[in-house]
Amino acid sequence: MGLITPLFDDLWNEYVVWSALVGIFTFGWLYHHSYWYRSEEGESPNIDNLQVGVFPKEYDNLKLEITWIVAPFILIVYLTFISWAPLDNIWSAANAESGYFGDECADGETSNLIFNEDSGMYEADCYNVIEITGYQWYWEFDCLNLEEDICAVSTTQIEGSDRPLLSLKDDTAYFATMTSNDVTHAPWFVSFGIKEDVQPGMITSQWILADDVENFLLLCTEYCGDDHAYMIAGVSVHA
Amino acid sequence: MKRKTLITRSMVALILISVAMVVSPAVNSLPTGVGGTGIQTSGCNCHAAAPTATIDVTLDGLPDQYNSSETYTITVSFEGGPIESGVNSGGFNLWASGGEFTVIDATVQSRATAEVTHTEVGNDYRTWTMEWIAPSHGRNVDFILHVNSVNGDGSNSGDSWNRLDLSVVGSLGVGLDPADPFTVLATLIIISSVLLLITILYGFYRTNPEAFDWEHLAPWITEWLTSTDHKKIGTLYFIQGLFFLGIGGILAMMIRLQLAGPEMGFISQDQYNQFFTLHGTTMIFLAAMPLINGFANWIVPLQIGAPDLALPRINALSFWLQPFAALLIFTGVFSGQGADTGWTGYAPYVVSAGAHSGVTMWVAGQIMLVASSTLTGINFLTTMAVMRAEGMGWMQMPLFTWSILVANLMLFLSIPAFGIGLLQVYLDRTISTAFYDIAAGGDPLLWSHLFWYFGHPEVYVVIVPAFGVISEVLATSARRSIFGYRSMVYAMAGIGIVAFIVYGHHMFTSGMSPSLRFVTMLTTMLVAVPTGIKIFNWLKTMHGGSLVYRTHTLWALGFLVTFTLGGISGMFFPSIAMDTHLHETYFVVAHFHYVLVGGTVFGFFAAIYYWYPKMTGRMLDERLGTLHFLTAFVTYNGIFWPMHRLGVVGMPRRTHTYFITTDDFTNLPEWAADWNLFISVCAFLFFFSNFIMVFNMLISLARGQKAPADPWGGWSFEWMTSSPPPTPSFDWNNLPVLKDANEHIAHEPSVMGIWFNKLMVPEDNEEVNN
Repeated sequence: MGLITPLFDDLWNEYVVWSALVGIFTFGWLYHHSYWYRSEEGESPNIDNLQVGVFPKEYDNLKLEITWIVAPFILIVYLTFISWAPLDNIWSAANAESGYFGDECADGETSNLIFNEDSGMYEADCYNVIEITGYQWYWEFDCLNLEEDICAVSTTQIEGSDRPLLSLKDDTAYFATMTSNDVTHAPWFVSFGIKEDVQPGMITSQWILADDVENFLLLCTEYCGDDHAYMIAGVSVHA
Repeated sequence: MKRKTLITRSMVALILISVAMVVSPAVNSLPTGVGGTGIQTSGCNCHAAAPTATIDVTLDGLPDQYNSSETYTITVSFEGGPIESGVNSGGFNLWASGGEFTVIDATVQSRATAEVTHTEVGNDYRTWTMEWIAPSHGRNVDFILHVNSVNGDGSNSGDSWNRLDLSVVGSLGVGLDPADPFTVLATLIIISSVLLLITILYGFYRTNPEAFDWEHLAPWITEWLTSTDHKKIGTLYFIQGLFFLGIGGILAMMIRLQLAGPEMGFISQDQYNQFFTLHGTTMIFLAAMPLINGFANWIVPLQIGAPDLALPRINALSFWLQPFAALLIFTGVFSGQGADTGWTGYAPYVVSAGAHSGVTMWVAGQIMLVASSTLTGINFLTTMAVMRAEGMGWMQMPLFTWSILVANLMLFLSIPAFGIGLLQVYLDRTISTAFYDIAAGGDPLLWSHLFWYFGHPEVYVVIVPAFGVISEVLATSARRSIFGYRSMVYAMAGIGIVAFIVYGHHMFTSGMSPSLRFVTMLTTMLVAVPTGIKIFNWLKTMHGGSLVYRTHTLWALGFLVTFTLGGISGMFFPSIAMDTHLHETYFVVAHFHYVLVGGTVFGFFAAIYYWYPKMTGRMLDERLGTLHFLTAFVTYNGIFWPMHRLGVVGMPRRTHTYFITTDDFTNLPEWAADWNLFISVCAFLFFFSNFIMVFNMLISLARGQKAPADPWGGWSFEWMTSSPPPTPSFDWNNLPVLKDANEHIAHEPSVMGIWFNKLMVPEDNEEVNN
């Protein structure tokens, strides 16, 4: 997946491996049988003696059928299990007792976001709160009272038009509280691999974990009308 | 509803500009020049609200008609304004609809390939020179030039601007402006309709070439319009389904033309939004569902040994609601105001003032489809419950009939939720109720819940009948009984039950409560188990068989490949951590097209090749069929396989364009544009390859070999009747009786069988043995 976020890169790889194994198994079986058990030229033996108006002879094998109920079941239980862990992180509580990202940063406190290789989770000392509001068809970012270095909003030229630019600081955790002014939108932080809908009359939230110095486009990923495709913004993470 | 006044976007822009003029009358102009589409339409309003006609703008050096790719040196100049010349006295901005500008001195800078403006140095001049390289396509190029005459003191008093529009004729000559996509679409729909009419007339001509006149045609048409025969209605469904498969395909081609390159302008985003909405609605409701109902109408009564459906007139009503619903759904397109909400029609956009007026008709049409589907459900469930032939218990029904039973049961239980949602939207849009008015306390997620409570079972409603077809085709082609008949039935029933508890996976990023999302993650994973059973059972069916390769066999094997791939990619979505990335991207588009085209459509292509001889009495041409399979299978994978990767690297769905990484911002890598072009080419090849099948069907109708009653050696009752079957399909006084090769099953139903029988009303002549 080109290393989007360590939160699910390993998960992705594991899924791809299992997909490949299931694919090789199934297609191997399919190709083997469709070649090996093909009818020869001109021959058409009626193996199970199918006759019109007669329900065919039973052909089953309880052990085999239970095998391919149980084996996929074990596999999906395992896949569910490994998918479970990152959820705790992406839906982390926003407090130090039960969350991963501490409490809201006091003045001058640094977030120190790190990816803990052992637990496979992001951890931070504290987080900063920002607000995102969707409008037809632009994004409004609000850094509240954060320092310029941690969060800044400006405009920039993207594809020949002025678009909002959100500047974030590397190794910092942000908690975005989001809403919409009109219809459903969804900010997709493509390089962080996260998105969450913004709904009018509702506050949604997501953790924005900036841990790479990069500039990327933020896209709208819930259809919102005419200029949906052009509802873009720049995100810039600086050191 | 806030649609008392219909304010166009340009009016909004003008109002915003006027407000900005009042609020900040002394905004300084940017000395390095500004640009963008807003400036292009309404001018540099920081200098003055409206253009000043006394400023004399000239654009020299352009020919009347350009030569392809030739370079022209052009000069922009103007006279007039607050001061004659001097520091900070001028500026300009020039756009061209084609070609490329090259900067030759420091007074001019390029903003995009076809947009130039002055630099900070260039601010002091009133004449600027640059080069323009004409495009190679030879079409007309429009130039828009804005000049600003500025007073030079940094304030805006007395500043003025003016605009010049110029058009240069291309080497292709005058009159080759691009066509309006709506005109293209309407033309193609009309052509398709005319072709359909000609085909129908030809069909009539073939029935009796001697009697090709109005006196015979009128009763023939009346017969088709008023028939309650399940075979005739099945054929009508079938024709409607194929016709709209074509229309949906045309819409898809328009979409693919637009996406062939990044930032193409083949259709506007307004049109694009309508096209993908109609593509989805058409393909699901007007193509897939009628195709399924066509086969269900034709084959289910034949398979269970019934002369007709239980409620033939309700059956006719179910069908005749469809064309009128289709008409309503498409109404908006002909006024340029078609539904632009996506087939999911998420609230509150669907009731907002911004949504097109055609949405109301689109909703009304779908309400009719809800009625149609409900009636169909009643009809089939009743028929299967009471009209099975003697000797055919529930567990001796052919698997295609079982699949229709499961599908209709699912549809019957889920579609009322959709109907309620549609009625709410319809009332919101027409008489200003406030179900989805958020300001009045409406719930933005209500629609999503109602829609997906129906929408997820719906996609299984579309795929399960294909399971039934593949079960029939593979078993017959392998000359074997289906492996694990009972586990096949339980697997389908299992899919039918699980369908109702997984819909939340469409809403993993919706802001729905995390605990609900987590539960649907677990249940969604479960879908893999019954689906796996079916795939492994099909594979095991071939074991020890003698697989006869015919066109329908090829399609069934192709189905196994593509449906398995679609199933595997589906496993990525329930993992919510990944779904936050993959949701609403082309990965999703790839997945559901693998399941809906590679599953449903391939399944029904197999059904067409399998049952066509039964339906028409004519065999299809196997060579054309094989050619169709090979071309369609290869190009189909060429369309949808690359989409997986595109989605992962950051291409969102339902967008009019996509963005390639620039120096400033990362988005799609450059190869994404190449793959999109590849996909578009494959899409056209796939589209046209399906005409091989249509051609095959028509040519075989006229010149095909006569089909025997049982050309493939199947066992179920439809192969007992002649090809085509008589009307009524079976003699009421001499109904067939199913024999059973396994006598013990008939007398010893399993525990589940007894339990299931208890749930059902027994037939008069059926013994309840428990």
